[in-house]
Amino acid sequence: MNSNIFTAKNVIVQGITGTHGSFHTASMRAAGTYIVGGTSPGKAGLLVDGVPVYDSIVQIQKDIRIDISVIFVPAPRAKDAIIEAITAKIPLVVCITEGIPIHDMISIKHLINKSSTVLIGPNCPGILLPGNNKIGIIPAQMGLPGSVGIVSRSGTLTYEAAAELTARGIGQKYIIGIGGDRIRGASFVDCLELFQNDPDVTSIILIGEIGGSSEHAAATYIKDCVTKPVYAYVAGHSAPIGVQLGHAGAILGGEDESAACKTKALGSAGATTSDNLPGLIRSVS
Amino acid sequence: MRLLEYEAKTILRNYSIPTPDALVITKRFTPEISLPVVLKSQVPVGGRGKAGGVVKVESPSEVTSTIDRIFTLDIKGYKPTAILAEQTIDIKRELYIAILINLETATIQLMAHTNGGVEVETQTGFKVWTVETGRASANQTGEQLAEYYELPDQTFALQDLVENLYKCFVGCDATLLEINPLVLTDDNKLLSADCKMELDDMAAFRHPEWKFEKTPVNTSFVELDNNGNVATIANGAGLAMATVDAVAAAGMVPANFLDIGGGANTDSILLAFNKIVAFPNIQVIVINIFAGITRCDEVAKAIIAARQKIKDLPPLCIRLAGTNFEEAASLLSSENISTLATLDDCITKAKELIYE
Repeated sequence: MNSNIFTAKNVIVQGITGTHGSFHTASMRAAGTYIVGGTSPGKAGLLVDGVPVYDSIVQIQKDIRIDISVIFVPAPRAKDAIIEAITAKIPLVVCITEGIPIHDMISIKHLINKSSTVLIGPNCPGILLPGNNKIGIIPAQMGLPGSVGIVSRSGTLTYEAAAELTARGIGQKYIIGIGGDRIRGASFVDCLELFQNDPDVTSIILIGEIGGSSEHAAATYIKDCVTKPVYAYVAGHSAPIGVQLGHAGAILGGEDESAACKTKALGSAGATTSDNLPGLIRSVS
Repeated sequence: MRLLEYEAKTILRNYSIPTPDALVITKRFTPEISLPVVLKSQVPVGGRGKAGGVVKVESPSEVTSTIDRIFTLDIKGYKPTAILAEQTIDIKRELYIAILINLETATIQLMAHTNGGVEVETQTGFKVWTVETGRASANQTGEQLAEYYELPDQTFALQDLVENLYKCFVGCDATLLEINPLVLTDDNKLLSADCKMELDDMAAFRHPEWKFEKTPVNTSFVELDNNGNVATIANGAGLAMATVDAVAAAGMVPANFLDIGGGANTDSILLAFNKIVAFPNIQVIVINIFAGITRCDEVAKAIIAARQKIKDLPPLCIRLAGTNFEEAASLLSSENISTLATLDDCITKAKELIYE
């Protein structure tokens, strides 16, 4: 992933007329994001917070180059919305929608792998570049311009980490929530690579969870490729085995998926780790 | 959501995947059964055979008593509401086949083993193929499967099986479909003798036909320790886990995990309060909300309602931040309810309340 895709200007909102779509369109605009249009089939001609509504992405692209799309379309139609954005070759697609069936994500991953589109999410809060761009639902006041890169699977922990840093006067360049689903677009490793290659980033915070193996992949990448300081916390130290906690991705299948095992792997890879988030934030200097 | 065997086998038959002839017995209805028959307790756990939940019946005089016994037999905490009465089969070989999702590669895979019928966890050396839509993929995988099983004369049957398993897996939004054992009978037929099937709850919106016995598990509220002294309410699975972690790291005992979810409203949050006060030893409730899609004012309204409606509500350590925080703060302050700035502050306050 290249830094430019996040700082690009022309943003659209798919599902702009829905409750979440319209609410967060206004909040993104208030944060300074340049929203050029939105889609909602059958509702072309309406305005949402002053932003024109179109039936489809193709209609917008007749007149305007689209750099980024933020998707709020409800789960039953989210697959079609993501495919529409990939087909339209939009460089960055951020899908906020939660509850997308796993088979839909398998189809989408096949298309993404063959395209140039970067997908963040689904089931994620999106991206905040404090003082620059808000692409999603992360409250803008939580950020402070600076040089930390934050990446997290959990939406609320993304906010939590950013707000705590801001309260301590430590600014951030990137705040990225990659989403909690089992199959997702960009990974921890993609974001670590972005942070490592961006000279503006001086330190990295990684927040993982129980379930899956993406923290282990991150640990391997940190060990091999990351020279910047990494601070890591994995949520779910008290999780019972085999019980799903909240969303589908947070289920502890085996010992190697546990918070303790992942924390150990990240620590061995050179990251500074903690078993609780306030503790981790206190260790960031 | 995990299906019961008879529910899964009904689906298999709809996809032309061969299963033994069978009838379903409920407490209200016992169909005409021809003997010999195998009676199988329909509980959503493994190890039914060892627990006595799978019984072969040959004599007419044993049918009723065996049915009664299986209905009252507890297997790992479950008692059946249905029994599967299945035709006995003459087993030549027991094989293993499953279709599942590889999360790392986002592909659908077929897993096979020549040694079926035993607990999968004890097996090593599975053969794995990535399968795709279409007859070509099924033909190729089926041919290799026949070679692997050393059953060349079953090539066509295995090609059909692979194609139908794939269609069933995708068409039903399944996350796991395991046939163990896949039986080769004495007369050279392949039959799915047992089946474990899990479906993706997220896909329920496009399956109005899903009317299964088991209601989906509540994943947003999980009991961690019934005797815990700190209850937690948070939004988002991550923040809810982090809240539990912070309570535990400070030496207190978290009683529960609770994620009130993105679209939480006053009613759903009030329901959460009611669940929490049912725990016997709760001394403090830590509420940690960082609102994105959730709106803080909805949470504030629920807190106010809970204080009015629930007698002896334990002390609250409340941290609210994010969307509509200002509205929430003014609602709470008009009711003289104070909030704290951070999770750290909530933990410190909780410790003071409990230990001082």
